[in-house]
Amino acid sequence: MPTDRVQARKASVIYAKTLLQAARTSDTVFEVADQLTEVLASFRAAVQLREVLFDASLDAAQRRALAEEAFAGFDVALLGVLGVMIEREDLGLLAKVSELYEREVEDALGIVIIEVTTAVALDEGLREAIRAKYAAQFGAKIALRERLDAALIGGIVLSAHGKRIDASIASQLERTRVTLSNRR
Amino acid sequence: MRKPTTSPVRTWGASLGALRAALSAAVLAVFLATPVLAFASEELAAEPIAAADEASGIGLLIPKLGEWIPMLLGFIILWIVLAKFGWPAFMGMIDKRAATIRDSLEKAELAKLESERLLAEQKAELEEARHLAAQIVADAKAAAEQTRAQITTQAREEAQAMLAKASEAIEIEKKAAIAQLQSSVADLSVAIAGRVIGTELSETQHRAVIERYLAEAGSLNAN
Repeated sequence: MPTDRVQARKASVIYAKTLLQAARTSDTVFEVADQLTEVLASFRAAVQLREVLFDASLDAAQRRALAEEAFAGFDVALLGVLGVMIEREDLGLLAKVSELYEREVEDALGIVIIEVTTAVALDEGLREAIRAKYAAQFGAKIALRERLDAALIGGIVLSAHGKRIDASIASQLERTRVTLSNRR
Repeated sequence: MRKPTTSPVRTWGASLGALRAALSAAVLAVFLATPVLAFASEELAAEPIAAADEASGIGLLIPKLGEWIPMLLGFIILWIVLAKFGWPAFMGMIDKRAATIRDSLEKAELAKLESERLLAEQKAELEEARHLAAQIVADAKAAAEQTRAQITTQAREEAQAMLAKASEAIEIEKKAAIAQLQSSVADLSVAIAGRVIGTELSETQHRAVIERYLAEAGSLNAN
């Protein structure tokens, strides 16, 4: 007998595969991945938006229209899948859909997506160095999703497949601060 | 130890007997002597020198012989009557009175003995009460001393405990203050260091740092 979690995973896989299929058709696979991450970040940051889109007292069509308005300019396929999730009250699966979408992309294209966060923009030499290092580890081509975050101060943060390596100056300073605070 | 005493009842009885004998002897002597004195007066009255005083002086007081005999007879009769009826009644009354006094004295003696016995008993009870009171006072003093010692010990222990707690609290506060100071210093130092690094690093230096960290970074492949 399937549990709610199994059913939710099945639904998430269907959403992710549908989205990938639509993105491949329009050749916007990576753009959709970035936009999906952005939508997820917006949901986490904007409480009001989340409350409105999850508000059961509003009509599904109204909530869908609000989502399309909030994410205007995003890929049509992504907006379509979001609309279906709103109508089916499955918006809570968005994080899982995002994760599965990346896996589906990686499987479909035979690549591994690594998210790279730095305080300054990467140059081509650094990109090649990262790709070279992790291509050997994964045995696959590496695609980079680059992000800038001045709060890192310096260094680099890498994450892929749920694993994260924090080699930033900010984290090193934090460790130093903790060590100094706890020293007796 | 009590001295043996002569009973007052016996002394009074002896005195009463002696009095009675003396009284009887005196009355008899007066009656026997009275006729002699009367006859002597008669002989003196016969003398010529005293003839002139016959009708006056002592002659007026001395009865004539013819009067004296009936008087004597009358007196004897009176004495016999009194001796027969008056004297026994008088002596009976005296004896009764003596017996009453003797009883009273005996009762007084008994009462005195009883009171002496009671006095002795009271003295003994008083002594016992005094001893008991002294014992109670001693016990109370001992209990008070014990209580004082207990209170003193308890107060000392409480004071020591409070002192220990206060010392502990001070130590904890001191450690907390030091920890807070360390934390503040660490926060400030790190913030300054971060700002300095962020400001001072050029893009080239940033990339050099990234390169170095990348070389040191571990594997991302969890499988």
